[in-house]
Amino acid sequence: MSLFSRLDDLLDERTGHRQLLRHLLDEPVTGGARWAYVFGSALLGTFLVQAVTGAALMTSYAPSDKTAWASVHYIQFTQTGGWLVRGLHQHGAQAMVIVLAAHLLQVSLFGAYKKPREITWWVGLALFAMVLGFALTGYLLPWDQKGYWATRVATNIAGTIPIVGDATQKLMQGGAEYGSLTLTRFYAVHVFVLPALLVGLVVTHVALFRKHGVTPSAKANLKKIDLFFPKQVLKDVVAVLGIVAVIFLATWNEHGAPLDAPADPSSDYPARPEWYFLSLFQLLKYFHGPLEVVGTVVLPTVIGAYLFALPLLDRKPSTALRGRVGALVPLALIGAGAVGLTLQAQHQDKNDVAFQKQRVHADERATIANRIAKEGVPPEGPLAMMKRDPELRGPELFDKHCGGCHMLRGHGSEKERTAAVLDGWGTEAWVRAMLHEPDADTKFGRSSYKGEMPSVDVPPANAPPTFKPMTAEDQGAVAAFLGASADAAKAARGKAIVVQRCTTCHLFEGKGDDSDLGLAPELSGWGTVPWVRAQLANPATKTTYREHALDAERKGHMPRFDADLSAADLDLLAKWVHEQARKP
Amino acid sequence: MSTSRPPPPPADPPQPSRRVVTLAVVVGSCAIAAATAIPAAAFVAAPIGSKGNPGRWVRTLRLEQLVEGEPKRVAIIDDRRDAWTIERGVELGSVWVVRHGNEVTAFSAVCPHLGCSVNVAPEASAGFACPCHTSAFEKDGKRKSGPSPRDLDALATRIEEGFVAIDFKRFRIGVPEKVET
Repeated sequence: MSLFSRLDDLLDERTGHRQLLRHLLDEPVTGGARWAYVFGSALLGTFLVQAVTGAALMTSYAPSDKTAWASVHYIQFTQTGGWLVRGLHQHGAQAMVIVLAAHLLQVSLFGAYKKPREITWWVGLALFAMVLGFALTGYLLPWDQKGYWATRVATNIAGTIPIVGDATQKLMQGGAEYGSLTLTRFYAVHVFVLPALLVGLVVTHVALFRKHGVTPSAKANLKKIDLFFPKQVLKDVVAVLGIVAVIFLATWNEHGAPLDAPADPSSDYPARPEWYFLSLFQLLKYFHGPLEVVGTVVLPTVIGAYLFALPLLDRKPSTALRGRVGALVPLALIGAGAVGLTLQAQHQDKNDVAFQKQRVHADERATIANRIAKEGVPPEGPLAMMKRDPELRGPELFDKHCGGCHMLRGHGSEKERTAAVLDGWGTEAWVRAMLHEPDADTKFGRSSYKGEMPSVDVPPANAPPTFKPMTAEDQGAVAAFLGASADAAKAARGKAIVVQRCTTCHLFEGKGDDSDLGLAPELSGWGTVPWVRAQLANPATKTTYREHALDAERKGHMPRFDADLSAADLDLLAKWVHEQARKP
Repeated sequence: MSTSRPPPPPADPPQPSRRVVTLAVVVGSCAIAAATAIPAAAFVAAPIGSKGNPGRWVRTLRLEQLVEGEPKRVAIIDDRRDAWTIERGVELGSVWVVRHGNEVTAFSAVCPHLGCSVNVAPEASAGFACPCHTSAFEKDGKRKSGPSPRDLDALATRIEEGFVAIDFKRFRIGVPEKVET
């Protein structure tokens, strides 16, 4: 007797494990092993993938509104192999939904819900709900835009349930609004409550299944009996292997799973749920006003009630499809409806220009957020990180505060613009153009300063005979000075001309503007970041666009922003405008 | 020989019936279960009674920054209390404002249907549109088409030292009545 079998005997004497193993593996499969029976085991296999990867993810994930996104970003982009585990978990979740649908379809077609297996079926439906619960709670955990907005819609749907809606919603959210308590709740449900319930229900489901055995199809040869091991187990293993392979491939293909920009409650985000909820999403569009609750609560409940009642509706003992068609028609309709609604939702989004535009914008933000977070996320959270990033915050501030009047690098509207195009502002070329034609359409042409600055080389209509056009060479020197050229000699000459000729109206280092018009800006430091910063804060000062910049006759002129924008935002915006204007 | 009879064997002390023992076991177990489950359930259910933030007047931008009749999205910036944290001056949400002369109307940007963020319609003159479930609203916030059960939620505004101040509130989603959360 080999050492191994002696040890095995020894162990069996003390544990009785052989009997247990035999019980587990020698289950008779009436009608013989079949591929149709793999889905239950496939679900169990996929669930194991989820449990293992989920437990691993828990070791790096931190649920709070300041840390959730950052920790998921860390897992996805920094931690060695983090993307792999996260990707497996995310794609595993999708695989579970698909395999679940297949399992449900198989047992329905085979009539496996019939007496005496009603309770097996009901426990299975409860497991179905658990899996959807996992999907829903898991979607929020990264606390990115996608998960945040989709889940908000879901909890708002809970809020539409008559009578108990408000309490249900607050219970789910951990309060009246979304916050850290929403995350801790969803996390606790996702990693403890649902797994505990799921394991209990799976044990019940499998025990009941073992008690009654498989439901062979009506045509099966009932005399043929295979044992679960090895013939059916082999098929199951092949199925799980196939699923795991697909999960791996999808993960590899996407290098993990996508991560959207961090959740931002004040943003506008075109929320869409994960694909397997798209049909429910689409359904919501069709029930208007007081009928809303039909789409959010009534129809899903009716579908659930039908599935629950199926064993009671279809009571003939025969499992042959003939004679059961009536009971299964609603199932077919639900399936077709789900597919149809999903396709319709995708089709509408594809053809919705506004949605596509918002989607592109959201993707850009995601890309940038993911890039800058690689430098680390501050303890104040990813939103604070994004607020401090010039590349993100700059255009946002510009669009919000400047783009109504100005244009810069495509931001703003050419049609509605009432102030200068800032592309090239502060450069030599810009100064040259300004000297020659200040009222050009891209300069003062549309602003309240139109007609205030004379050209230096085109005589005005009522030009005095003393008008002497500035030579091209002098113009070049002025441009070199104001545009901060590297040619020091030329710039020095330009400075002399500015001090001498431009200070009739302009100030230079506080001097000039002989007739005290208070209209033409200070030129020392013009074109620099501090000058832009000062102008943004308040145009009506001696060091910027001068004292009368906010007077009534300058209506439509640039307002002051020192009350609306924080010092940090002013710094950032000034720097961004300066940099963008000079971009070649 | 003593004629005295041996004393009778002592009688068994009376035993409680099996029923009583069972009852005791059941009651004891229930007490243990209740002692843990009730506090835990109360703990988890705590948010049910919670109230949302009461309305608060928040200053936004200056009146002159608004173009007559043109909807503008403004961020509501104030302190945010979230469970155990307090944050100073963060964006709580956003509001659509439209200027009419020296008055401003404001609408919550939260869609009354299911809480997505409402945007201006692709053609701005067409009012507002929700990117989620096709709810559409007129420029004055009236429900135009789509599933929303009520109009956009109007918020009170007033002008304070040239600034547009808004009474920032949130309302229950998905119900025909406008009720604060």
